[in-house]
Amino acid sequence: MLHIECLQTEIEAWSAFAQHKQEQFTEKVEVAHGYLQSPPPPVEIRARLAPLLGRDWTGALPATEAPLDASFSAPARPPDDVTLIAVDGSQIFPDRHAAILYYLIQVGAIVFRYNGQTPIPHSRPALYYQDSDLFDAQGYVVSAEKVNLRRLTQEMAYLCELATDERRAAPTTPLFALTDGPLLWAYPERGQDIERAFQAYLEALGALQQTGVIPVGYVDRPGGRAFLELLWALHLAPEELVERIGENPFQQLRDYRLMERRLPPGARTAWFTRPTTINRRHSEAGQEIWFCYLNVGEAGHPVIARVEAPAWAIPNESAMLTLHTALLHQARVLNGYPYVLARAHEEALVTTLDKKALEDVLQRQLMEKGLVPQMSEKARQKAYLGKR
Amino acid sequence: MATPRQTLTIGNVLRADIRGFVVASRIPEPEVPTFGTFVRAPIQQGRTDLIGLVYNISLQDDPFLKNLAINLDQADEEIIRDQRENRVIPVEISVAAVGYRDEKTYRYGLPPQPPMVLYRITVCDADEVRAITASPNFMRPLLENRDVPAADLIPAAIRRAAELLPEAAREAFYLQAGRYLAHYLGRDPIQLEQILKQFSNPVTFQA
Repeated sequence: MLHIECLQTEIEAWSAFAQHKQEQFTEKVEVAHGYLQSPPPPVEIRARLAPLLGRDWTGALPATEAPLDASFSAPARPPDDVTLIAVDGSQIFPDRHAAILYYLIQVGAIVFRYNGQTPIPHSRPALYYQDSDLFDAQGYVVSAEKVNLRRLTQEMAYLCELATDERRAAPTTPLFALTDGPLLWAYPERGQDIERAFQAYLEALGALQQTGVIPVGYVDRPGGRAFLELLWALHLAPEELVERIGENPFQQLRDYRLMERRLPPGARTAWFTRPTTINRRHSEAGQEIWFCYLNVGEAGHPVIARVEAPAWAIPNESAMLTLHTALLHQARVLNGYPYVLARAHEEALVTTLDKKALEDVLQRQLMEKGLVPQMSEKARQKAYLGKR
Repeated sequence: MATPRQTLTIGNVLRADIRGFVVASRIPEPEVPTFGTFVRAPIQQGRTDLIGLVYNISLQDDPFLKNLAINLDQADEEIIRDQRENRVIPVEISVAAVGYRDEKTYRYGLPPQPPMVLYRITVCDADEVRAITASPNFMRPLLENRDVPAADLIPAAIRRAAELLPEAAREAFYLQAGRYLAHYLGRDPIQLEQILKQFSNPVTFQA
């Protein structure tokens, strides 16, 4: 039981801290905005920051020749003749204290055609119960990270499958495959499992390219500060660039706060790339990832998303304008989050009630075979206490 | 008159007592059972089934739809169709017990046990409805249950059952039900009249 009254002093200190931090952020956003006045052209920026490449600098670089402070708008109407396929995943993690040891991954998707037809929802659940699924090489129950990794690769494989079907049905319609989260591989290079999953992921991106489908990663309230790193790097004199790059005064700030200040509703920034090791590996596979920031909010209520797409797709200006228009429409109906992603999430979602119902069926199956599943005593006590 | 068994699982028991239960369901609108539908739920570790009648259907709060409704206009045709045709509606379906089935026959009245939470509920097929309603005694638990709108529920159930009978057998079925009600509600002429009025003109409640 939590005695909230014992935290009263901390709660008051926290609110004062939050207020102070907000004031600091506001000041820093103004400083960063000042850094953005009269930026050098992209070609000069790339030359100036060349010494940082290969040092795993996490800043952004202009990917096109559009000025650093450029913003681009799109028509405020639903797009014509375009299809969005959104995918998301959900899981039940394995629990060694539970009565039954298993895990479940469900991938949900929706195919949304802008042609007046009813969108088509999809979902695909998969149950994992073999020893090879459940235990790692040391004999421990697989980690949540491994389940998430498997879910990610399944999402991408499902997206490829649906995209291939959709392309067959509509050979000339612009097609975008949306995922909720970054398109740039987010797992650090560590171990064979991750490497295998990364290769499968790159292959899936390649397969989408072959099918003529543009993969898009949509990151709501993005946590990165690649653009602020770029501004700081540009602020430094060439001779102090390498030495002082780690002294970025915007460390606690995030790009989206600056974008809230400067991007008008409906507008996006230019495209940027991140010269990181992982993006170089994407690039070696022909799948370098670029990104832009997009304000899908309204006047007085900015909502910033980071939109990621492969470099090969960006030169298709017509497709990018269609994507921009579609995302604005999708987010308008749900107050700043794309409808298709919300629906894909809903199709993927495994609720607590679903979990209980599944485990009830699994337990009955075992009992019919004379097996009596039992949760650990610790889990039983927690279940009793959790009901209070 | 044997018909193919066409049953539909509608959801899981959310809460229950001996007089009835509530089912949480997330099924598309066309499949939501209507008022007066006969359903069954397993009881006693699945050895027998409780039989009940749907007497209330309430839509649960859906914040997603609420959020969406503010921003949608008629141009958002695909989204409107998705909501109407695809999206599962979170509903609570209340069921009043009318009896239970043992190995040989149907017994009318309260069951020995309520269904357990999360047991799955199924709509009865035509053969089952004909068998349950072969005796007018299935109405007794409804007449004794003050929580259900018996004056509307009984005519709805009778009509549903009559539609499953051959045309020639329907009049006798209505007469049998009417006599039972006249006997049972002899001291409550107002409710009797309310129910019988709907019998005398069954077309009025076809809407």
